[in-house]
Amino acid sequence: MLATVRSSTLDGIDGAVVDVEVHVTNGLPAFTIVGLPDASCREARDRVRAAIESSDLTWPMQRITVNLAPTCVRKVGAGLDVPIGLGILAASEQIPLEALDDISAVGELGLDGSLRPVPGILPMVDVLDTKRVIVAAADAGVAELGAANRVRAVKRLRDIVDALVEGLPWPHIEPPKFEDDPQDDPDLADVRGQESARLGLEVAAAGGHHLLLIGPPGGGKTMLARRLPSLLPDLSPEAARLVTRVHSAAAIRLPGSGLIRRPPFRAPHHSASMAALIGGGSGRVVPGEISVATEGVLFLDELGEFAPSVLDGLRQPLEEGVVRVARSGGMREHPANVLLVAAMNPCPCGEGGTVGCRCGPTARLRYSRRISGPVLDRLDVMVQVDRPSPTALLNREPGEPSCVVAERVARVRALARERGAATNAALSREQLEVSAPLDDKATEVLHEALTVGRLSARGAMRVRAVARTIRDLDDAGPSLRAQDVYAAIGLRVRPPMGGYDV
Amino acid sequence: MSEGLLGLQGVAQSEGVVQNVRRHAENKEREDVYAAVLAALAGATSRRLHKLLTLRTPSEAYQAVALGDLSSEVAPAEVLNEWREAAQRFDLNDIAVRLDAANVKVTTCRDADHPPQLTHDIDPAPILFRRGTMPDPQLPHVGIVGTRRASSIGREVARELGMGLADKGVVVVSGLALGIDGEAHRGALAADGVPPLAVVGSGVDVVYPQRNKSLWHQIIERGALVAEAPLGAKPEPWRFPARNRLIAAFVDLLLVVESRAAGGSLLTVEQAQRRDIEVMAVPGSVRNPAAEGTNALLMDGCSPIRDVNDVLVALGLSEIAANARRDITEPVASIVSAQSRSSLAVRELSEEAARVLEAIDDGPTSTDQVVARSGLAVVRVAALIEELIVAELVQTDGARVRRKC
Repeated sequence: MLATVRSSTLDGIDGAVVDVEVHVTNGLPAFTIVGLPDASCREARDRVRAAIESSDLTWPMQRITVNLAPTCVRKVGAGLDVPIGLGILAASEQIPLEALDDISAVGELGLDGSLRPVPGILPMVDVLDTKRVIVAAADAGVAELGAANRVRAVKRLRDIVDALVEGLPWPHIEPPKFEDDPQDDPDLADVRGQESARLGLEVAAAGGHHLLLIGPPGGGKTMLARRLPSLLPDLSPEAARLVTRVHSAAAIRLPGSGLIRRPPFRAPHHSASMAALIGGGSGRVVPGEISVATEGVLFLDELGEFAPSVLDGLRQPLEEGVVRVARSGGMREHPANVLLVAAMNPCPCGEGGTVGCRCGPTARLRYSRRISGPVLDRLDVMVQVDRPSPTALLNREPGEPSCVVAERVARVRALARERGAATNAALSREQLEVSAPLDDKATEVLHEALTVGRLSARGAMRVRAVARTIRDLDDAGPSLRAQDVYAAIGLRVRPPMGGYDV
Repeated sequence: MSEGLLGLQGVAQSEGVVQNVRRHAENKEREDVYAAVLAALAGATSRRLHKLLTLRTPSEAYQAVALGDLSSEVAPAEVLNEWREAAQRFDLNDIAVRLDAANVKVTTCRDADHPPQLTHDIDPAPILFRRGTMPDPQLPHVGIVGTRRASSIGREVARELGMGLADKGVVVVSGLALGIDGEAHRGALAADGVPPLAVVGSGVDVVYPQRNKSLWHQIIERGALVAEAPLGAKPEPWRFPARNRLIAAFVDLLLVVESRAAGGSLLTVEQAQRRDIEVMAVPGSVRNPAAEGTNALLMDGCSPIRDVNDVLVALGLSEIAANARRDITEPVASIVSAQSRSSLAVRELSEEAARVLEAIDDGPTSTDQVVARSGLAVVRVAALIEELIVAELVQTDGARVRRKC
């Protein structure tokens, strides 16, 4: 007999519908699985057999053929265990065939017949349009984001059979509490002094400008970067869904409520490979850190220690907000809309030519050359992070808290949306001409900077965007003044980095 | 049996050696080649070479080394054995070609054109490699040394001193390193006066540091570049203290422009003090780590240098005592006019910009420091600093700023 169960598998960060066809016929007992399964999928046989027998059901001693259609899509993971099990039960007449109409299932089986959660449940459930979608109880919260009340969450294979055959009610799984996930973003109030670094963070958060923090070890670069998410507004519903999908596909632990509502913060170690940062892998395309951090902050600590080729791989995604990863199996487009924050020491010893620097001028020059010009050019805001002075450190008065800064940031972001872009950094050349006009003095300042070679043509446009953010943070006046442009140029990376003079 | 065979072989070998050595030794007119070979022997310290060359010409010394005809007074027996073997391996023709190709002169303490300062030194340098033309030993020689990691002010001062001294007929002696040394040479070359003398730590045919390559060749062309190290010697760290001793031996007065707390230039100072040579130092800001060593020297009683005139007075080349200069109207007038000029520029600035400028030191100042001192909002400070950079009133290293002077 033939039974078909609808299911899906993960393809990049998207789900792909898979029809599991199970054929049970007389002949020598055998089990064959065809249709491009990967290793963990092929191992389904042993798990499913044990699970069926543990659930007081019968494993048919017949010839079983499982086909995963369409055969051109590579099937990954153990999410097809449950549909294969249901298919075998139906094809061996332990479940009526019609009970499987309009049902789909995704889940891994344990040998004791229990259902286990699988990574990528959200994108997989997203593509299933059946009346009921069976998932593991542990996946219920996330799956409901995709299929709402069509989701049937169960703990054991036996529960499914009971509901389908005996007509027992589907077990009621207490949905995880939807209370707000704890706001565990560290707060900017912990930062003492560090005025210019605070300004850098605020401008970066408000305008979506990529940020570079330079300073000696122990100056607080990492501490500052970790506080950037607390300045960003909550994710919009669409962004939250997208981020949750990517995180689900990348098998990253999701919050209890399932939905990620705060901008993510990702800080990959500097040994990260191109595939880890950009996305990729062999066969299946896994989202990289830049996609996982989408709509949030990608923090690259010790920028100078990253492999130069990996850093250069960031150029196109940073420009376009999406990353296209091509593999022999096809091309995948993943989101890569990040706010990049990079931190580095000014020289190998970190002291940057001040008292106690142990690096010669050549060493400093070589260190600064590790970051390619095009990558530096994309970092619109640079701030020097010095160790805070003892007075500032011992000052008990907390700094301005994140919530106050976040209000200003939200105001500036709202202004950017009125201008037709998500952030000021994303304003196109034409939009800048309209929304960031320069007054006479400001034109003169920019002209001068271009003439002396302080800015490239591209740099001048970036300076206008940053100046727009600075004016927005101040009084949101219509045109840019000289002081806004001066401040924006002052916040821009200077090419001869590391060339210290005492 | 085997012992006898070995003994025979040994005799045959040493006969070959003798012939080879004799053949070489006939080439008497190339004493410089023999000197170059002696200098290149491993463990050939200046003291050992000096002992070797007091009684013999370089060719005789070479013969004695190659034949093992030396007493252990010159060097321990194992060193002499090594020398004997090494002397055999040298291709004298090759060395002659290399000397001629780079136009290198080699002098020994036996030669009339060997610098007399080195012959009569407490730690005499017996062999000297040279490119270019040696300055007249009768001229006053002044050493200018300092840190490789100098501040821009330090480099300016070194250049000015080099220029001013060369202009007044003083031979500027320095080590051709990065930082102060190189700048002193640059200044001396810029003056239309006496060309400088460079004493380097590597071989005279090994350009180090590469960044001073053009300076290196300019000095060879117009002045002189000397080294104790043999041809092809790499700039190994242990060669530099010996180079510093040579600088001290050459000079009549040593100037330290900027030195860190434990800088190599302090080794030169030590060598100068062993020779009773006066040391002068340029005072620096107490906040400048590159001036810690020089300020310590001043504390120890070295005379300070304000400008080239102070040096000329110390050399007895200028009559005008430094203290008396107050009475001369012309420089005072120029100081006054310079002051009024800069205050004019300051007056054109807005009140806020002036506050920011006031908050910026002569040393590197961070934006945070300016914010704390001026009490202005950080975004205003960032803008005003950029404005001051454009107005060329302050300069930046990419992260910090300092006042321009």
